[in-house]
Amino acid sequence: MSTTINGTSSSKQADESPYGPVGKVLNELDDRLGIAKGGRSLVDKIFPDHWSFMLGEIALYSFVVLIATGIFLTLYYVPSQALVTYHGAYLPLRGQHVSEAYATSIDLSFGVRAGLLMRQMHHWACDIFIGAMVIHMARVFFTGAFRKPRELNYTIGITMLIMGILNGFLGYSLPDDLVSGTGIRIAFSILESIPVVGTYLAYLLFGGPFPGTAILPRFYIIHVLLIPLILIGMVTVHLFLLVRQKHTQFPGKGRTERNVVGAPMVPIFAAKATGFFFMVAGAIALLGGLAQINPIWQFGFYRASNISYAVQPDWYMGFLDGALRIWPSWEWTGFGHTIPLEVFVPALIVPGIIFTVCALWPTIEAKYTKDTEMHNLLDRPRDRPKRTAAGSAIFALVFMLFVASSTDVLANFTHVSLNVVLWAMRILCIVVPLITYPIVYQICVELQGVPGGGKRKRANIVSRTETGEYVAVPAEQRPGDGHQELDAETVPSYIDFKDDEPQDPGTKRVSR
Amino acid sequence: MPKLTKQLMLPALVLLTVGLTMMILFSGGSSSATTSPEAIPSTVSAAQSLTVPPAAYQTGRLNSGAANSTVRVHNSSGQLIAYGNRDITYVAPPDKLIPLGEALYMQNCASCHGTTANGVPANGTPGAYPNLRGLGPATVDFWVASGRMPASDPRNVQAERKQPRLTPTQALAVAAWVNSLSPATPFVPVVHSIKTADVSDGFQLFSLNCAACHTITGDGDALARNTNAPSLRNVPSTQVVEAIRTGPGNMPRFTGNLSDEQVRNVVSYVTGYIQHPRDPGGFDLGGLGPVAEGFVALSFGVGLLALVAFWIGDRT
Amino acid sequence: MSDDDLGSFSTASPDDPHMQPLARNPERAEQLIALTLVIGIVLIVLFGVAYWYNWQPWTFGVTLGGGILFLGFGITAWGKYLMPKGPFVEERHDLRGTDEERDLFGAAVTQRGAGILGRRKVLAGTAGLGLVAFGVVAAFPLLRSLGPLPGKTPTRTGWRKGTYLVDSTGRAVHVDDLAVGGIVTVYPKGLQDTDQGQATDQTVLIRLSDASFTTRPGRETWGPAGYVAYSKLCTHLGCPVGLYEQQLEQLVCPCHQSMFDVTNGAEPDFGPAPRPLPQLPLYVDGRGYVRSQDGFDQPVGPGYWERS
Repeated sequence: MSTTINGTSSSKQADESPYGPVGKVLNELDDRLGIAKGGRSLVDKIFPDHWSFMLGEIALYSFVVLIATGIFLTLYYVPSQALVTYHGAYLPLRGQHVSEAYATSIDLSFGVRAGLLMRQMHHWACDIFIGAMVIHMARVFFTGAFRKPRELNYTIGITMLIMGILNGFLGYSLPDDLVSGTGIRIAFSILESIPVVGTYLAYLLFGGPFPGTAILPRFYIIHVLLIPLILIGMVTVHLFLLVRQKHTQFPGKGRTERNVVGAPMVPIFAAKATGFFFMVAGAIALLGGLAQINPIWQFGFYRASNISYAVQPDWYMGFLDGALRIWPSWEWTGFGHTIPLEVFVPALIVPGIIFTVCALWPTIEAKYTKDTEMHNLLDRPRDRPKRTAAGSAIFALVFMLFVASSTDVLANFTHVSLNVVLWAMRILCIVVPLITYPIVYQICVELQGVPGGGKRKRANIVSRTETGEYVAVPAEQRPGDGHQELDAETVPSYIDFKDDEPQDPGTKRVSR
Repeated sequence: MPKLTKQLMLPALVLLTVGLTMMILFSGGSSSATTSPEAIPSTVSAAQSLTVPPAAYQTGRLNSGAANSTVRVHNSSGQLIAYGNRDITYVAPPDKLIPLGEALYMQNCASCHGTTANGVPANGTPGAYPNLRGLGPATVDFWVASGRMPASDPRNVQAERKQPRLTPTQALAVAAWVNSLSPATPFVPVVHSIKTADVSDGFQLFSLNCAACHTITGDGDALARNTNAPSLRNVPSTQVVEAIRTGPGNMPRFTGNLSDEQVRNVVSYVTGYIQHPRDPGGFDLGGLGPVAEGFVALSFGVGLLALVAFWIGDRT
Repeated sequence: MSDDDLGSFSTASPDDPHMQPLARNPERAEQLIALTLVIGIVLIVLFGVAYWYNWQPWTFGVTLGGGILFLGFGITAWGKYLMPKGPFVEERHDLRGTDEERDLFGAAVTQRGAGILGRRKVLAGTAGLGLVAFGVVAAFPLLRSLGPLPGKTPTRTGWRKGTYLVDSTGRAVHVDDLAVGGIVTVYPKGLQDTDQGQATDQTVLIRLSDASFTTRPGRETWGPAGYVAYSKLCTHLGCPVGLYEQQLEQLVCPCHQSMFDVTNGAEPDFGPAPRPLPQLPLYVDGRGYVRSQDGFDQPVGPGYWERS
């Protein structure tokens, strides 16, 4: 039943595989590619089961959906700002001179079968992609998974987050509608605000003054080729590092720094991952069909002297818009030059600082804690109150800036004056992060002191006997708990199937 | 956790004090002190010969609607009773409604606007309420038929659309009586053949002139200092034209810069695609745009999927 | 990915508790999961039908999404409830190489690599310089050829002495056109359909009164018959400032809610805008048309380094 493990075996024996045609194919591949050693290691690989380790998968699967729907869209969308006359199905646009980019986007929505579904799936997938990256990053941060040896993987992740946000902005600007066109105008002004080189950079990217006709084709190629190439490359490295370094795990029964406890890749993890991929794709398709997003036909074609009120960028750019709204109008002029600090600081310096702190966090924490050990076991957030509180404060800052981008919607909803809402946001964006730190710190410290905190409690079934006494019995174990009582064992390489005759009537031996 | 509560009390107190101070300091405008709607800021110096009356609803002259009309109808005494063209006809309310209008006015309006509609109530101060004379029937009809008047609280900076207290005919009657005191235009508009108007031109005009306040989807939003641009979802075509031509409240008025054909096209777009949007993509999430979309993506998208992960995975 | 020590190869008997399914009633679980998979298949087939016959767009999403969702649920549930519940373990082997391998690696890089290169210092320096030179020059197409130099373009507009103010249809504005409290977006005549006209020259014309209006000292002739004109480009980030509240006499920028007082030269009262909107001096010609006396009093739009 076996060939020798190392060294060659006689090829005649290798052709005959006791595992049927599949085994034969595997042997043939191994002859050519040498996959047996690595492949066995891969299919035996253990993945820990904790639910929070699946958040990154949401990002990965929505990225796959983005690529699939994106390819569909590229077959119809034309990235040209040349004007055409719209003659399609949507009457309020009939006869208007619009760019070909806008016209083809409208045609995708009204003319191409399932085109609107693909557009909406693409947009929902993007929102979910970035949201999943954020909560995945939060999980990695708060459990300390970024520590040695995984600092590089963490940095790659932060870079992918930035790339994702940028690509999202480029993508929703492609239809050349009134709302996203306003965003492009703002982007031009932000570039212009950079001291010394601002106008040069802006004219460089746009091929001249705003708007020009070069910007949309350039956005397009960056959006469909350059950034996706970078992202695919980075995702590959990200997953490779994950497989090579093996996943981290929470401390618990039978888990040490030197092992991984969980489920093997084949078949269990593969089944759960495949199933989860389908569920993510299904959820995106449901949203794409049932929830309207980015109705560009209602916005109309972008013209530089038109504007709509109540316009915010997509949520992941919201923190930039909020920072721009609340920043006071401090512009510096002197020596014949101007630095628009009210643009440059909130749009470039503030996010620059936030992302730099995030990206450098492994280094910062290592220096602060003087910790150069390898870590494969995770922290519970409550066990590292300073890190948890600091991270919560940073998240609170970004969240408050995001809330600040909807000042007009808030004012409308609460019937409070717009001016008051803005001032409230200015103060809250400073105060809330500051008080988040001590509050979260205190919560962590107190949770540490709670015995059995966070562990699943077993319910007690209370029943009354005939004589009036109360009896409490622990409830049955739930499906998620039972297997934790067992000691982990090495995944078996061979399974002894006996699925033939039953042992005795009334019972059936089942194999899984 | 009593210890935590104690720790939280100080920051909560700070927040509360700061918040209250802000509300008091920055509660803009007239909601507290005065009993009149926010007075028109008069930045006129003596050097400028500005003759803006306290209520700046005056158009100052027959607006270009009447001057540029192809049709003008006069009654037997030579008074203009209708003007317009095949796009929009502006009709003065019939004289026979005047007695009814006077009675309704005295019941519902005189307590603030005065018995002679000059904005001076009995025992009141001049300039406290708008002078209604010489504004044209369309103005009065708009405010009353949309339910804004009679105002629910005169101290509010902006009167809101609400369930009208007077029927459309009664509103017209009040307009007839007020107009009889000082006849002026614009008259009450009737839009012809809305369905055959150029809805594409209307969309472009709406985008350039209206979307900046009312939003491109016509949902409205808060403006400066407790004013707001209302939603256009439930506005009949007559009131759309009245608002455009008379410029109620903080809304600018569009007279000679929009022809009747253009106004009719805008009405066609508003009553068609603003009030009955084509939502082939599904539920429209309130028309709030990316704010609502982000909320749905994060809660229904990422949130529910995280719950699915919670189901799939272990909890230890 | 490679384990030198393969560890033990065990054979599992189906009685092993680790191989048991998680579900308390595996037969029933199998039936339920089979049902969800069947529902998924039905919905996916229904998507095919909906697509073929071009049903309403929302049906595409419901059938495709629901179908994939149910399939996914079934496969996931199979993996979670019916497959061996484990738990299983594998050892982490040191990522690091052995001391000997590290020694060899370090020696190869520093001695065979940098060491041998370092023996020819002149060549190493020159070759390095060559690479740097190539890198610098390689950036030139990206840095120079993508767009023109800005030059004086940011300060130029299409407004000159005597330019007619026209609306978006090209119709020239007449002094009788606007009532007090009216507003119209205007462009230099002939430029209303161009990028420059719409993006840079866009102007709002507001009628503040019946008689001449002075916004600031020195601008007594700029507001004939109560007409004042300001650049529509917000000085914050360049959004069109189209939101006019005629009683407050305030222009509000819809993007970030900067508020400009139109009676005093569009001075920003509130919000992030740093400078007032530039004002266009107007006059009314002999036939009653409103025209510009000259260009704006300062460069339009947001700030940039060269703006003095």
